[in-house]
Amino acid sequence: MAAANQFILAIGLLLFASILASRISDRVGAPLLLVFLLIGMLVGAEGPGGVVYEDVFSANLLANLALAIILFDGGLRTPLSSFRVGLRPAVVLATVGVVITSAITGYAAHLIFDMSLLEGMLLGAIVGSTDAAAVFALLHSHGLQLNDRVRSTLEIESGSNDPMAVFLTLSLIELVQRGGGASGLMLLQDFIQQLGLGAVVAFAVARLLIYMIDRVNLAGSLYPLLALSGGLCLYGLAATLGGSGFLAAYLGGLMLGNRVRQARNDIRRFHDGMAWLCQISLFVLLGLLVTPSELVPIIPQALLTALVLIFIARPAAVLLCLVPFRFSWPERFYISWVGLRGAVPIVLGLYPLVAGVTDGRFSFNVAFFVVLVSLVVQGWTVAPAARLLGLRMPTLNLGQQLAEIDAPGLHNHELTVYRIPPRSPALGMTLKQLDLPRESQVVALVRHGESLPNPYQAPLAPNDNLYILAASRVFPAVEDALGGVSTSPEERQYFGPFVLSGDTRIADIVDAYDIHDLKPELHGKTVADLFRSLYGRSVAVGDRAELGDLEFVIRRLQRDRILQVGLKPRARPLKKAHKAQ
Amino acid sequence: MKIVDLLTPARIQTDAEVGSKKRALEVLSEMLTTGDGELAAATVFNKLISRERLGSTGLGHGVALPHARIEGTDRALGALLRLEQGVDFDAFDKRPVDLMFALVVPEHFTDEHLQILADLAEMFSDQSLCDALRNAADPEQTYQELLDWHGRVKQA
Repeated sequence: MAAANQFILAIGLLLFASILASRISDRVGAPLLLVFLLIGMLVGAEGPGGVVYEDVFSANLLANLALAIILFDGGLRTPLSSFRVGLRPAVVLATVGVVITSAITGYAAHLIFDMSLLEGMLLGAIVGSTDAAAVFALLHSHGLQLNDRVRSTLEIESGSNDPMAVFLTLSLIELVQRGGGASGLMLLQDFIQQLGLGAVVAFAVARLLIYMIDRVNLAGSLYPLLALSGGLCLYGLAATLGGSGFLAAYLGGLMLGNRVRQARNDIRRFHDGMAWLCQISLFVLLGLLVTPSELVPIIPQALLTALVLIFIARPAAVLLCLVPFRFSWPERFYISWVGLRGAVPIVLGLYPLVAGVTDGRFSFNVAFFVVLVSLVVQGWTVAPAARLLGLRMPTLNLGQQLAEIDAPGLHNHELTVYRIPPRSPALGMTLKQLDLPRESQVVALVRHGESLPNPYQAPLAPNDNLYILAASRVFPAVEDALGGVSTSPEERQYFGPFVLSGDTRIADIVDAYDIHDLKPELHGKTVADLFRSLYGRSVAVGDRAELGDLEFVIRRLQRDRILQVGLKPRARPLKKAHKAQ
Repeated sequence: MKIVDLLTPARIQTDAEVGSKKRALEVLSEMLTTGDGELAAATVFNKLISRERLGSTGLGHGVALPHARIEGTDRALGALLRLEQGVDFDAFDKRPVDLMFALVVPEHFTDEHLQILADLAEMFSDQSLCDALRNAADPEQTYQELLDWHGRVKQA
């Protein structure tokens, strides 16, 4: 009994320390997942903790369980609207991109480690996918705002490329076991079966789950658990039937998060917590499992492999895959850079071990080291790289969203609480002036612990809490109205000083600014048409278009309708202009 | 071209009382045409108004930069108008505008036009300069603030 009690205490302490470590990592800017990994290593066999944990089978089971939940949560919080701009590039990256990355890295590993080509390719496949947990966590921390197209491409890619890496790894393990010799046709068939079954299971189980959650009467706190059980079923059923469990978990989560009506916010919040728990457990577990002294001898080769992956394989794959899509060069480089590796490669590194194909823990150790390098080099620089490439988008949102509450009895409505930040552009304005959508209702404006009697008439003050009741679909418009008036210098720099409506006629702009060499097909067109001719229907806030020396930047969208664009006269910066004189 | 070179203290007003955007643009048009026989205030006004129809030239935070290209002049001119009480300028942040810098350039000044506009926008993004301009006692002091600002930027 004493041992059990100590075990529980140890787990409690470990969790406690890991959660507190998130504060430190915030301050240092180190990627949180790296911190969890280090905590695991400290507790492990060669750290001060001295805990020996070597059971790869239980580790494999726990790791897959945690990954399934993380991907399910990733799906839950991806709005379907982000698929509008990000789906197609992300799907190419998640399939062709993974193959290219794996092949280049695998070939390099074959040379670097002096191993057979097949074993090299296996190693390449293991480190082939970007990690959803790492990418989600990093894109959502640091208050990093990116262009919708870039953000959703990265998120959807990281959520959906694991099945490809898993598939490649399993196929290559089979090939190694059989000593090579499988037809390409068989591989293709297998691949289609994995993805097809994964998608079918996701569709069927998610439909059933949504139906159940919306219809069955349960105690409130049981709905999130019901959703969680569904997430595990998604993974388990798909994998049992020979499909991709990870794909099923991600797609199922996506459908559930976007379609379910009952307890939607409770489900999201619960899974947010669950995903954290899984990430902490997963990374601490993997840190525990590794034996740091075994890493030392492979450092030079593994480091070289990681550098090939980061600087050659990933950029080559991204640049090739994105050729058919419209991204600016900084965006292409940024997507190349955010090829973060996380738990998946380490977990996949266990597969050859479980299958008994490699000698000892070689592939696990290499994968572990590559992930370590990726987290340090790329994870640490996700935010600075965005700034350096000029991709950081100024926030157009009001800022802190304190709480979201389901509104029982009102179909699809939510009660959301916002806090007005101390430097909000909306300060001093009344809610009446702010142009809130008509379908929204201000329930209360709370200042110094008291609800003001006339919320619509009071000028907003810092730290006011604003309670708004509205249909879920109008919240973007609410946030637009609250924050769309922001006019910070950064914003002016990014979007340009002047604002035009999307349906301004180009002929009128030409008239005012005397643009040379106007293409004849632009006569009679509007600014929105100009964007449409460049981007098709998948426009995103922050997209740019040029007209002579004028630059237009999309400021506001309503789905794919361009409401507002910024107008930026392109000229040399003032300071340089002065020096030139 | 320095922004301050577009101005003289005579084309700065610091205590105007006008009740509407239209009236403010009329005042600016008159300021831009005094002492320059070639230009008619009505022409300038019409051009400024037609630019506003494309979309307000309000930058937010109570500042606006109405601008236009004008036939029949050979140099760029600016005028600065400060209102006692801000007027509704259809700015996208819906705040009343009390600080306006109007710019007119000759028809053929395409490149310079955009260059000056970019410089103006950057200049009026400087909140401390806007505060100083709002607190200046008279046109001479306003002019001096702009000169000082140029001095600071040059040093930086």
